[in-house]
Amino acid sequence: MAAASFGVLCRKALTGLKVSRSLISPQALASTGLLHTTLSRKGLEEFFDDPKNWGEEKVKSGASWTCQQLRNKSNEDLHKLWYVLLKERNMLLTLEQEAKRQKLPMPSPERLEKVIDSMDALDKVVQEREDALRLLQTGQEKARPGAWRRDIFGRIIWHKFKQWPIPWYLNKRYNRKRFFAMPYVERFVRLRLEKQARIEARKKSLEKKKEKFLQKKFPHLSEAQKSSLV
Amino acid sequence: MSDRMHACALAPAPRGPALAPPAVPQLVARGNRYPLYQLGNPQLRVFRTNFFIQLVRPGTAQPEDTVQFRIPMEMTRVDLRNYLERIYNVPVAAVRTRVQHGSNRKRDYRNARVKKPDYKVAYVQLAHGQTFTFPDLFPEKEQSPDGSPGDEDIQDKLLEEQQRRQSRDPRRGGVPDWFGL
Repeated sequence: MAAASFGVLCRKALTGLKVSRSLISPQALASTGLLHTTLSRKGLEEFFDDPKNWGEEKVKSGASWTCQQLRNKSNEDLHKLWYVLLKERNMLLTLEQEAKRQKLPMPSPERLEKVIDSMDALDKVVQEREDALRLLQTGQEKARPGAWRRDIFGRIIWHKFKQWPIPWYLNKRYNRKRFFAMPYVERFVRLRLEKQARIEARKKSLEKKKEKFLQKKFPHLSEAQKSSLV
Repeated sequence: MSDRMHACALAPAPRGPALAPPAVPQLVARGNRYPLYQLGNPQLRVFRTNFFIQLVRPGTAQPEDTVQFRIPMEMTRVDLRNYLERIYNVPVAAVRTRVQHGSNRKRDYRNARVKKPDYKVAYVQLAHGQTFTFPDLFPEKEQSPDGSPGDEDIQDKLLEEQQRRQSRDPRRGGVPDWFGL
């Protein structure tokens, strides 16, 4: 509290008198246990953990946010939570890098995984809301427009559209791309189909073989499975 | 000035009851192609940045007002300035960036090259004559008084119990156990 009031006094003195360093004595601030001479109390300190946790082997932390918990929150709350998680993640990344530098183990590295999982879940929830809104308002299933087209190799692909400042018929680079296949490609399309058919046939025959083997080895179990009500 | 025009601005972090606009398409900062900009378009704004930065200890001695960061490759110095000013309330005077090449020289057991990822380093000079020194995050802590007495007590109790089990019946007068009926 004394440090905070001192900080406020310093800020007022500095903005009033425009004196850079003579009023703040480094010794006084060092005695209060601060890292650096700064006006904003919570500036770069947010890149580091609570000083009590420095040098500890383990730091306790709760579980990560689940998708269902996040779905119950409003957009404002999710927005604020994103930045809270962002700052925590930056802090943990800083700690990880420093631990690597000092060749010491990072205390409780599972915190970083939890934060990353929470942020992914938050992103997923926001994307869900965004998709629902877009479907209701415009009926578009995908955010980025695209189309099914046959490429030069005869494959049917989902071509995603890019943003250009000029129309397509003036676009030299786009017109060099061919969205059609010449007749000599049909043979390779047939070969590709054959390859896929062979792979699927192999899988099916392997499944049948395994089934037959199990049936032979455990004949009593197959009827039990059929008759069980579970 | 042109740099500032073209970089995407970070939307201000919420202070108080701020309304996140629901109808704006969610734009992600990293791993995304920014929408095309043409003269007269509104300033591009990214809510919920995807950029994560780390404060690192400088390898070579830096001036007192310089802070060193590792930032994603896609982030620019203008982006970093906005990031620090709006999310962390850190006044920034100047930012300089460089790309550090991660070595591709090491080879693994089958002589395939192992690449260490490239990263961008930013040197940020703080405004208003502020200084920063990288703190010692792993100070040697003496064994806390709470932990050790408890451990020692438990160990002592275990030792006592073991000795009691192994000691012979005092009524036998020191005679070994294998004598007897």
